Amino acid sequence: MISVSNLSKSYNGVSVLNIENLDIPAGECFGLVGNNGAGKTTFFSLLLDLIQPSSGYIKNKNIIVSESEEWKPFTSSFIDESFLIGYLTAEEYFYFIGDLRGQTKADVDEFLKQYADFFNDEILQKKKYLRNLSKGNQKKAGIIAALIGKPEMVILDEPFANLDPTTQIRLKKIIKDLDENTETTVLISSHDLIHVTEVCKRIVVLDKGEKVKDIQTSQATLEELEAYFNK
Amino acid sequence: MFKRFVSLEWKQFSRSSYFQKGIAIKILLGLAALWMIASALVLGVAAFFGIQKVMPDKDPITVVNNFVIYWFLADVAFRYFLQQLPVLNIKPYMVIPIKRSTVIHFLLGKTTISFFNFLPLFFFLPFSVLLIINDFAALQVIAWFFSMIFFTLSINYLNFLLNKNNKAFYLILTLLIAAILLEYYGVYSITEPAGYFFNTIYNKPYAVIIPLLLMIILYRFNFKFIRKDFYLDGAISKETKEVHTQELTWLNRFGKVAPFLKNDVRMIIRNKRPKQVLFMSVIFLFYGLIFYTQETYQDMPAFLAFASMFITGGFLMSFGQLVPSWDSEYYKLLMSQNIPYREYLKSKWLLMAVAVVISFILSTPYIYFGWDIYGMIAAGALFNMGLNSFITLYGGVLNRVPMELNVKAKAFSNTQGFNPTQLLIALPKIFGPMLIFYLPYKFINFEAGIIALAISGILGLVFTNFFLNKIEKVYQKNKYKTIAAFSEKK
Repeated sequence: MISVSNLSKSYNGVSVLNIENLDIPAGECFGLVGNNGAGKTTFFSLLLDLIQPSSGYIKNKNIIVSESEEWKPFTSSFIDESFLIGYLTAEEYFYFIGDLRGQTKADVDEFLKQYADFFNDEILQKKKYLRNLSKGNQKKAGIIAALIGKPEMVILDEPFANLDPTTQIRLKKIIKDLDENTETTVLISSHDLIHVTEVCKRIVVLDKGEKVKDIQTSQATLEELEAYFNK
Repeated sequence: MFKRFVSLEWKQFSRSSYFQKGIAIKILLGLAALWMIASALVLGVAAFFGIQKVMPDKDPITVVNNFVIYWFLADVAFRYFLQQLPVLNIKPYMVIPIKRSTVIHFLLGKTTISFFNFLPLFFFLPFSVLLIINDFAALQVIAWFFSMIFFTLSINYLNFLLNKNNKAFYLILTLLIAAILLEYYGVYSITEPAGYFFNTIYNKPYAVIIPLLLMIILYRFNFKFIRKDFYLDGAISKETKEVHTQELTWLNRFGKVAPFLKNDVRMIIRNKRPKQVLFMSVIFLFYGLIFYTQETYQDMPAFLAFASMFITGGFLMSFGQLVPSWDSEYYKLLMSQNIPYREYLKSKWLLMAVAVVISFILSTPYIYFGWDIYGMIAAGALFNMGLNSFITLYGGVLNRVPMELNVKAKAFSNTQGFNPTQLLIALPKIFGPMLIFYLPYKFINFEAGIIALAISGILGLVFTNFFLNKIEKVYQKNKYKTIAAFSEKK
């Protein structure tokens, strides 16, 4: 699904990301961990063509993302609050995203029903604009919006941050469900090693822009990661 | 403490991407500022000699005093729309040990160092010097000079209040319109008492105390206003009220661009800044009243063509010049979603074109001034839809100022969006219709001018796709730069 080749990004000669190759097969639930400045968000931004690579390229389903926009119809993402439109209510936002992804209003309504638990009555029919929701609730809306229209590729940057414990557990369930019951490829980054080992089948550790570990998740993974970061 | 504030402000200014734009634009802006200074200077000198020549029996100072009220009124209007209020991001200073009063004094003091406060100096200073050289009482002139400076600063602080308080603005606006109407219909003239007032200030040097007090009072008023709201849940809190989901299904008829149109409509009615733009475009509708009623302009149809373009182009220009800044808050979303850039641009264009049509319908009463004028307005509307809209959209790329859509109190965040770069982009929009009209008018006749203007617009409409493609390319090319500038922290 994703194929990275000699990808690097540097600002004024300082390299912030340098990945020689990385392949993510379709349907995989892929986790990215690393300390601040490891290059996680840079990688996602490159993947979404929000910044230009200094060299190399990323292919999303054989489409070079910086050269064609054909990857957009099957890719969706929630990186930060700038992915929300503050003056819309949550419903209007969902319908807007639905419109862009060829979903009718009824489709979206039907789709949202399954996330009633996740929303915990804090998102829909609140008569509030998204900008007036709390950080956590904004995140909930953003994450679910990224799932509208059965995208083949979902990118979530730190989805667990800012969520309350109950919602974190529910989110894990949602991601696992995506992994097991659909063909969707999920890319997430996280600072929470427990969550990421729980939901991801494969974990890549970045450090200062370099790929330092590439692990197929197993019982021992959490310990291995903790040992690595406890340096 | 002040020194540290100043250094922080300087860093904020010099490190923003807005400042680091092309050197050519900077030079042009510098030239524009110099030009304004030079004109003020010339005006100051010319006022003195000109008045002496035209009205040898009158004192230049008396004549200036009679009309200086207009200068100040124009100053108020200019500042309201043009002066960017220097602002201090107040939140970080709330918890560190600096006295609130210090922060506020700095905030207010900073507004003093503005181009708008220096500009009058260039008029009043040469004028006053000339007065003294020509044997007017030095003490009186100096006192008068300072009075003018104090009035200018009073306007500076008044503008601060006006900008933060829409009610105050509407109140002043109503009073102003009332005064102009009363004057126009000869019911009551404010120029007379105003002239009397300023002459008295000149004749009695100690009266300089009046503007001084006015300035101090306005300053204190500002101070109290900000002091009162210096809390998290005060001036910088967000206002929440119940809102309802709006379907706007009637926009579905526009097909592919419908989702964007819906968003734009919601954006305009739900945010403060776009609402201001909407209000401004209504004001533009009255622009013709200035030009069509003046005898002077009847022989200058090029100016009339310009005015006619303005009547229907208010929304187009004030909204269009800030595309794509309107969407700066969620630009990354738009760039990573399944959105063809063309549809996005087309929806903006459509919105502007519809606004032109609505303005044109609203301008029907101008038939009163004759069919020639109305034909001109119609031609202007076509020019707006067909050419001006594309020029404006093209100009938008140059403007990479991130905008906060819903700013409650401008005192605590930037009055963004309006900057001199846009005035620069405005030049072809202003001189375009004048030229297109004037040349055929000069060489053939009036009707030919109108037809030429209309045809230019129709041609633009015919080549809509071509223009949209070109603009799309420019937007694409600047995509990464724009994303980077928009995601800059405010």
